[in-house]
Amino acid sequence: MTVEAPPRGIDVLELEKLPAPRSPKKRRRPATARRFWMTAVVVAVVASALSLGVGRQELLNSGGWPMVRRFFAAALNPVLTPEFLRLTWDASLTTVAYASVGTALSVAFGLVFGVLVSQTWWGLDSGGRRTLWSRGGWLGARGLLGLPRGVHEVVWGLFLVSVLGLDPLVGVLAIGIPFGAVTAKVFSELLDEAPGHAFRALRASGAGRIKAFAYALGPEAFPDLLSYSFYRFECAVRAAAILGLIGAGGLGYQISLSFYSLNYEEVWTLIYALVIISGLVDLWSTLLRRPNRNRFRVRPQGECGSGPAMQRDRFVNLSLAGFVLLVGVCTWHLGLSISNLWSPRTRGLLGDIAVQAFPPDFSAAALSSLWGLSLETVAMSVVAIALSTVLSVGMAFVAARTVGDAGAGHGSAAALAALASRAVLLFFRAIPPPVWALVVLFVFLPGPLPGAIALGLYNFGILGRLMAEVVENLDSRPVKALQAQGTVGARSFAYGVLPLTLPRFGGFSLYRWEVTMREVVVVGVVGAGGLGRLLSAQLNAFDYRGLVSTLLALVALTLFADVVGASVRRAIR
Amino acid sequence: MPEAIVTLSGAGVRFGDQWALRDVEFRLFPGERVALVGPSGAGKSTFLSLLNGTVTPTAGEVRVFGRDLAALKPAQLRRTQARLGTIHQQFDLVGPLRVIHNVNAGRLADWSVGRALLSLASPREARRVQEALGRVGLADKVYERTDHLSGGERQRVALARVLAQDPAAILADEPISSLDPVRGAEVMDLLRDLCIELNKTLVTSLHVFEYALSHCDRVVGLRQGRVIFDRPAGQVTKTMAADLYRIPQAEPAP
Repeated sequence: MTVEAPPRGIDVLELEKLPAPRSPKKRRRPATARRFWMTAVVVAVVASALSLGVGRQELLNSGGWPMVRRFFAAALNPVLTPEFLRLTWDASLTTVAYASVGTALSVAFGLVFGVLVSQTWWGLDSGGRRTLWSRGGWLGARGLLGLPRGVHEVVWGLFLVSVLGLDPLVGVLAIGIPFGAVTAKVFSELLDEAPGHAFRALRASGAGRIKAFAYALGPEAFPDLLSYSFYRFECAVRAAAILGLIGAGGLGYQISLSFYSLNYEEVWTLIYALVIISGLVDLWSTLLRRPNRNRFRVRPQGECGSGPAMQRDRFVNLSLAGFVLLVGVCTWHLGLSISNLWSPRTRGLLGDIAVQAFPPDFSAAALSSLWGLSLETVAMSVVAIALSTVLSVGMAFVAARTVGDAGAGHGSAAALAALASRAVLLFFRAIPPPVWALVVLFVFLPGPLPGAIALGLYNFGILGRLMAEVVENLDSRPVKALQAQGTVGARSFAYGVLPLTLPRFGGFSLYRWEVTMREVVVVGVVGAGGLGRLLSAQLNAFDYRGLVSTLLALVALTLFADVVGASVRRAIR
Repeated sequence: MPEAIVTLSGAGVRFGDQWALRDVEFRLFPGERVALVGPSGAGKSTFLSLLNGTVTPTAGEVRVFGRDLAALKPAQLRRTQARLGTIHQQFDLVGPLRVIHNVNAGRLADWSVGRALLSLASPREARRVQEALGRVGLADKVYERTDHLSGGERQRVALARVLAQDPAAILADEPISSLDPVRGAEVMDLLRDLCIELNKTLVTSLHVFEYALSHCDRVVGLRQGRVIFDRPAGQVTKTMAADLYRIPQAEPAP
C-alpha cells in the first residue's frame, strides 16, 4: 500500500508522540497484535460508555431543550453595542497576549532545553562516543521534562493563581511551562533528525558543541522548528481561552461571566471573537506550514533560486518579524512585570505550600477515591474520543468529495462543501470544552458523561481538521480509477479512501486520546467529574497534601496513556 | 628533516571483526601533496578520519604535531583538530545559511560562543571571508544562500571555509566525486594551485587515478585496508595502477 508523502505539518504534530527510533529487532506477529488491540479498543469503548451510565440510568433532562433552543437562537443575535464590542476587543487582546507571550516563552524554553535533551548533545548520535555517563545524562534530562509536560495548563494555572494571585504572569506561565516542556521534547527530536554530517564536520574541525549546533543543526532544522512553533501558537490560543475560564481574564473569563448571568447574546459575541482569532491564527500557521511550497527543501544541484522561493522567504521573515512585534505589544498590554515572581509574598506562599504539601496524602480513603476518579477519567477520555472519531470520519467523508472530482461540474459545489466543513470544524474547536460542558449540561443530568460529550465535541473540531487534511492530501489516483468504472459515493469512499487513510485516522485518534487524558481535568474544573473536580476542590480547601497525590495520579495517567499509545502505534504500524 | 605533521605508526582500525585499515606506517611532511588511491572499500576515508582524529585507532598510534591523539583531553583534541581542515565528499555545508556563515564556520574553533552567535546576526570578519571567496572565484556570492548555489560552487565554498580556517594541512575526502568532469577538473586545479600558492600540505583521496599523478607529488595506494605502495608520483607505473584496481581472484586470505 502506497500513500503519498503526508504534508510536513501533520508529521510535526505527530512528533510529540513519536517513540524514539527503534532498532529493527524482530517483531511479534503483527496481525495478532493488531487483532488484540482492535478488540481492546472495542471493549474499552463499550466498558467506558457503560461505566459512565449509558443505557443504565436516566441521563437526559428533558426540561432543558428550551434552554438549548434559547442558547442557539442567541447565535443569530449577538450583542453589538459599542461598549460591549470595546469590552470584547480588550478581552480578545488579553487572550491573544497570553497566547503569544506564552508561546514565545515556550519556544525560548524549548530552544535551550531542546538542545540539552537531544541525543546529539549527549554524543549519542551516530558520530559520537557512547558512554554510560552520556546515556545516563540524556535519560535524566529527558525524564526531568516529563513532569511539567504531564500536568495540564489549567492545573498549572490553578496552582499559579494560588501563588501569584490574579497576576497576568499566571496566564503566560501556565502556557509557557507545560508548552515549553513539550516544545523542548519535539525540538530535540527535530534537531536529532536534521542531517548530521555538517555538524560532525564542524566538530571535526574543532568547533565546540554550542557553536556547531548554532551553525549546523539549528539552521538545518529551522523550517521544522518554525512550523512546530506556529502550531504551538495555535494550541496556545485555545489554551488561553480555557485559562480565562479559571479567572485569568480575557475572552474565556468574559464568556463565563456572561454565561452565568444568562446573557447568551453576549456569550455569542465573545464566541465569534474567539472563532475569528482561532481562524486567523490557524490560517497563518497553515500558510507557513503548507507542504509543497516549502522553501527549505534543498534544490537539486545547479538549479538556482527561483521567484516563488524568494517570496516564500519574505513571507517567513515577515511572519517572524510580525510575531516578535506582537509579543512586544502584548507584553506592554498585559503590563507584565517579573518582579512578582520573586516578591517576598510569593516566596512566603511557595514556602508555606511546600511545607504543607508533605507528606502527600496516601491514606486508604484518599487512594481509593483517587483510583475511582482515575478510572472515571480514563472512561471519559475514551468516550470523548470515540464520539469525536465517529463525527470526524463522517466529516472526512464530506471532505473526500473534493478528491477525484470525477464530474467537472461538481468543482464549485465540492469547494463550497469543503469550506463549510472547515467553518463548522473551526467553530467546534474554538469554543473551550468547559463552555461546551455548560451547554451539554442543559440537557444532560450532571455527571461525568456530559463532560465526556463536551470533550468529544471540542475534539471533533481538532480531529476533523487533521483527518480532512489527510483526505485532501491523498493520492487521488485510486479514487479516480474507481470513479472511472462507475463507483461513486459511499462505495468509492469505502474502497478508495478509507483503506488509504484508516491507519493515519487511527494514529490521530490515538494521539488525541493521549492529549485528552490530560484535558479531562479541564471539564472537571466546572464540575463534570474526573480528577479535575477533586483537584479544584482540594485547591479551594487549601488541601495541599491531597493535591500532591492528585497531581501524582494525573502524571501517572499521562504516562499510562503514553505507554498504551506507543504500544498500539507499534502494533498498527 | 622537518617535523612530520602527522605520523601513523602500526595504525589499524577495526569495525566489528573487519579490519578497515591495518598496519599503516605513514608520515606527512609540510608542503607535500599526497593522493590516496585504491578501489572502493580500500580504506581511504578511514585513513583520512584517522588523520583528523574523528576515528580512534584500534591498534597502533596517531601522532599529530608530535602528540598522541589518544592521550589528548577533549579541549586539546579540539585545538589540534582546528589545525587540520577537512573537505568532505558531500561538502557538508548548511544549505539554509548564507555563504558567509558557512565560510565563517571554519573559524568556529577560534571564536568564543558569544562571537559565533553574534556573527549569525551581524557577520564578523567579512573581509577575510571576501578574500577567501575571491581566491576560489566566488567573490560575488558572499551573501547568497548556500542552497541556491550549484554543486561546483558549493564545493568552492567548502574550499573557502578551509581557507578561512587556515589549517596547517588540508584533508580532502573525494573532493570531486559528486561533480561532473569539467567542474571536477576546475576544483582539482584550484586545490593544487591554492596549496602551492599558500604553501599548504594536502592529503586527498581520489577515485580518478589520473589526478593523483597530475596534481599530487606523492601517491599512496591502498587495497583491502593495507598500504600497497607509497612513492613519488613520478615513480608510479601503469602496472602498479592496474594491479591496485584488479579484482581479487582466489587470493589467499590476509
